[in-house]
Amino acid sequence: MSLPAATQARVFWRCLFIQAAWNRRGMQNLGFAFAIDPALRRIYLDPAAREEALRRHLGVFNCHPFMAAAILGGAIHHEERVAAGEEPGAAPAQYKAALQGPLAAVGDGFFWTALRPFVGAAAVVGALTVGWLPVVAALLVYNGIALALRWHLFQAGYRLGDGVVGAIARLSLPRQADRLRFAATALCGAAAGLLLLAAWRSGRPALHGLSTAAAASVAVGAGVSWLALSRGAPLLPLAYAAIAVAVVAAVILGGHLVGGA
Amino acid sequence: MPFLVLGLVAGLAAVERKGFLQAMLSRPIALAPIAGLALGDAAGGLFVAPPLELLWLGAVNMGAALPLHETLATAAIAGGAVLGGRALGTGVTGSVAVLAVLLCAPLALLGRSAERLGERRNEALAVRAENALSCHDARAAAAMNLRGMLLPFGINALLAAVGAAATGVVIPFLLRDAPSSERALGLAWWAFCGVAAAAGARSLRCRRAGLVFAAAAGAVALVGLVAWRAG
Repeated sequence: MSLPAATQARVFWRCLFIQAAWNRRGMQNLGFAFAIDPALRRIYLDPAAREEALRRHLGVFNCHPFMAAAILGGAIHHEERVAAGEEPGAAPAQYKAALQGPLAAVGDGFFWTALRPFVGAAAVVGALTVGWLPVVAALLVYNGIALALRWHLFQAGYRLGDGVVGAIARLSLPRQADRLRFAATALCGAAAGLLLLAAWRSGRPALHGLSTAAAASVAVGAGVSWLALSRGAPLLPLAYAAIAVAVVAAVILGGHLVGGA
Repeated sequence: MPFLVLGLVAGLAAVERKGFLQAMLSRPIALAPIAGLALGDAAGGLFVAPPLELLWLGAVNMGAALPLHETLATAAIAGGAVLGGRALGTGVTGSVAVLAVLLCAPLALLGRSAERLGERRNEALAVRAENALSCHDARAAAAMNLRGMLLPFGINALLAAVGAAATGVVIPFLLRDAPSSERALGLAWWAFCGVAAAAGARSLRCRRAGLVFAAAAGAVALVGLVAWRAG
């Protein structure tokens, strides 16, 4: 635990670029090597030892980019032990290999399929009711949570090494993810309701028929899409089909749409 | 000049989406207003943002799987809608927005192919990093990572600017020559919004999702209708 705070901050900053050169050969290997390099420069004063350590981190690595911060901190923890002669040189790579899969699953489940959609859906509801201000607020909240967690995970990995698993388990991310997904689904429903209202008001008071048709378009579009997506319909062709059907329906209904209230 | 600014925004968003930070600035709800702002009409961008965010709520980059490139498509749709609306003198309306979606949504597929191309190029960067390390140039080996951001930036900047420019020309051409289509396309926009809301909720794979979605939609619509009638 001898890494200066400035070096830790530098490693954390570089960790934000972990997917900059994602590739199918080593996945996040270049990003990981780039991030850990300032720490290796501090830990290994002998250039040959430093090169050997960097070579270890050019091996295959892939994890959720936020959860990778924990593994990065832990890898530095193990590199310090390797440099002190307390562990064999293979220990950091074994640590990475053991944790990357499970932490990727936790990160994907929490950040990508729960927190981010929840914030996105909340921002949509805010944009439909108020305007741009809730969108900015939602982004600030998301980044506050994401960056704080990334820093916390990095620090926990560095301090605890293998013990980071317990620290992550205490966050109960899978349980929080279930709640967020439920709330996000409700927010999508709320957004559908707001869009239906906006459609209903779009032609009023002059074009009563058009208002009804617009609201029906939202409701039918959502209902039919739900059923089609449940049966595995691809998204973009479905959107094109819905647009085409609405245009044809409007042409067929013709003059009925412009009837006054 | 506006296309350069839009290209810059789209390129930076593509880098932010995967290569750096992942702060949601490349998500449609943030990017569409920013792209609109870059072209002088943030409100126009904000008009198209909610349904695009809902449509691509499930576009997630997990492991080696590549989702549709919602960022590229959003930049082109928002930019094209703003330019088309400005050329017509109407601003971004439902009919303008739905035409922009029709014309630019396939860029999401093209963007995915471009991302795959970038990954192949990055394999070469990985080889170069190993070679640099073999030549005892550890600093160059580590810094190779940053070069991976150049291709996504360039491709997305170019495609978004070209897509928006073409859309901005085609939309006025279509709507000026067939003004009767305005109403039909307006309805199509609302149908698209319905599809987007359902797609967003479906992508979350929540238990009892259908019930939760329908109940929330019904409750909000009912409360809104009562408030509107009372007001």
